[in-house]
Amino acid sequence: MTTKILMPKIGFSMSEGKLAEWLVADGAQVKEGDLLFALESDKSVQDVPAPGSGTLKIIAPADGVYDVGAILGELV
Amino acid sequence: MESTNRQITTVEALNSAMADAMAFDDNIIVLGEDVADPEEGGVAGVTHGLSTKFGDHRVRSTPISEQAIVGAGIGSAMAGMRPIVEIMMMNFATVAMDMIVNHAAKLRFMSGGQTQVPLTIRMATGAGLSTAGQHADYLEAWFAHTSGLKIVTYSSPAEAYGLLQSCIFDNDPCIFIENFLAYAQKGDAPEKNLRIPLGKANIVRPGKDLTVVCYGPQVGVALAVAEKFSGEGIEIEVVDLRTISPWDKETVLASVKKTGRLIINHEAVRAFGVGAEIAAVVQEELWGQLISPVRRVGAPSCPVPYSRPLELAFMSSEQDLEREVRKTLE
Amino acid sequence: MTSQDIPNKEILVDMYKKSVLAKINDENARRVIMNGSLPMIYYSPRGQEIIPAAVSVNLSDEDTICTIYRGMHDMVCKGVPLSELWGEYAGKATGTCKGKGGPMHITHPSSGCMLTTGIVGSSLPIANGLALSYQIRKENKVCVAYFGDAASNIGAFHEALNMASIWKLPVVFVCQNNRYGEHTKFEKATAVTKISDRAAAYDMPGIHVDGNDPVAMYQAAKTAIDRARNGDGPTLIEAMTFRFFGHVFGDQDGYMDKGEKAQAMAEDPVPKFRAWLIEQDYSSEQELAEYEAAVDKEVKSAIANALAAPWPDMDELNIDVLAAAQ
Repeated sequence: MTTKILMPKIGFSMSEGKLAEWLVADGAQVKEGDLLFALESDKSVQDVPAPGSGTLKIIAPADGVYDVGAILGELV
Repeated sequence: MESTNRQITTVEALNSAMADAMAFDDNIIVLGEDVADPEEGGVAGVTHGLSTKFGDHRVRSTPISEQAIVGAGIGSAMAGMRPIVEIMMMNFATVAMDMIVNHAAKLRFMSGGQTQVPLTIRMATGAGLSTAGQHADYLEAWFAHTSGLKIVTYSSPAEAYGLLQSCIFDNDPCIFIENFLAYAQKGDAPEKNLRIPLGKANIVRPGKDLTVVCYGPQVGVALAVAEKFSGEGIEIEVVDLRTISPWDKETVLASVKKTGRLIINHEAVRAFGVGAEIAAVVQEELWGQLISPVRRVGAPSCPVPYSRPLELAFMSSEQDLEREVRKTLE
Repeated sequence: MTSQDIPNKEILVDMYKKSVLAKINDENARRVIMNGSLPMIYYSPRGQEIIPAAVSVNLSDEDTICTIYRGMHDMVCKGVPLSELWGEYAGKATGTCKGKGGPMHITHPSSGCMLTTGIVGSSLPIANGLALSYQIRKENKVCVAYFGDAASNIGAFHEALNMASIWKLPVVFVCQNNRYGEHTKFEKATAVTKISDRAAAYDMPGIHVDGNDPVAMYQAAKTAIDRARNGDGPTLIEAMTFRFFGHVFGDQDGYMDKGEKAQAMAEDPVPKFRAWLIEQDYSSEQELAEYEAAVDKEVKSAIANALAAPWPDMDELNIDVLAAAQ
């Protein structure tokens, strides 16, 4: 079952976020809870955990700004 | 049955509305500053005798704590009581705005209908007693702009009785506005326990030439002006809203459809007042049918002044209404 | 001023179960926010669970609470059902409030959760009102007002404590002092060192307690609740605690002292309580692990149901504004 990786909304005023870097390589095996990507805001960087388990398929490249809710990748 | 010629004052009417309601339903309690008899039954004596008759557990003089007073009213109403809380003067409601606007008005909706606030908040106000800027404001437009509240006021002692009883037994938070100068007004005694429905306006005086929508003591002003114009062959229809919000659009629109002319007459400041909303709705609904633009009588945009001649000029008078009537009839 | 009652094994295990119910709900809340499946503005109570667990075991179903936006722990400990709680978080028709109130306004009268407010300090005057009705009608019920340290600086707190005291209302004021009001340290915002000292200004008992200590918190809560129920009036409890995830979840805690949060998290009261129960032989690893797994399953199921539930009808904009026409 494929799990979508979405840009989360964290905090009041966030409408988009910067995916600073992927912490896992494209095609690697991921377990739910493993740290998956670094989310950068004006103030700091947060590591976001995997929402499920599977093989990572990266859709959104690193160092990009995406809307809240955007599909960044999938866990197949 | 009581003789309808018996005359009572507004204070007596309000007092007996509460006393009769409290005898009928022991869920009704009264909270407010100085409301109990040891404290002389309220600043205008409106609650005189209630604590002696019903006990000081049901009628309580409170500290000067409007947030706590209204909060106690909200919580006890949520528990199924019918509290009447008194805010001594409408301006002091500002101290309790969070309780009124963020809580009382909104809890039914925000709870998805699970809780309700059958609370009556009585507030007195009105210029003409030289109390100046912080003790005389009519703030009904602020409350009308907040959904979830009912706002009611009366134009005679009998109306005061019937409308206050309706507020007490209503399941929504009701703001019941009293007027200082009108406390001494005399009028026919009401029928005991006869409630006047909320949300329905009253055509106090029918007429075919021009509609004046008003409420509170301005109804008396409108009637006096209507009498005068009747002598000139012009018949003014005076509509007493009774409930300012939600207002009786149907009655008002039917009246203006008939007359083609509307003036809204209130003591509150004209700018951004209740009249502005009514005027907007009427012109939207009856655009092609209006003979002249909708006009409004209200106070100037300044705090209620202290100095007597300034205060009198501030208050919406018969002359102010007459002037607007003449402009409308041109 | 604490009761001499020591909670027995059953009470202690019940308290732990309530606290871990809150913890697991919180963990899942943070999980679904981080993975984007249920975005919401969330005020995490993680770290504060022992307080409502200890208060709730002293309350009956008829007693009521008024709480605030950081109140999910208060709500689940009182018994707000999970699927309706999550339905409301998701803004769905199946929520406690048909989706119309959201997390800051959770209301569930049948479990006694009468009010959740988004306004700091407003739980207190309304709790007084509920308590007033119990007093007038001579009902053997108590209302608990939950609030934070910063609320003790707002006018409504002072008005409510004064009124509750003069009228001896059956209300308990539970201040969860997590050391921060939004981003401002408690010490910077508050003229007293101990909020419980403010009780004296209102002629009521003030109890200063470690809110993360299950036995101490139980005793403080029991003392205050019994007092209220006996008609002796209100109590102000200041329960010391710490919040692990900032003011609103997503906060980066830049305003906190370095290491302060890490230290508090190292002392996490919920696993500490768990370990102690096992050590005392009041429960076993198996019993607790089974319970926790069952709770997690129930929470995940409630979340899944909430995500799948329908949105409210558009008609709901016009419903519950005023009473339905008779």
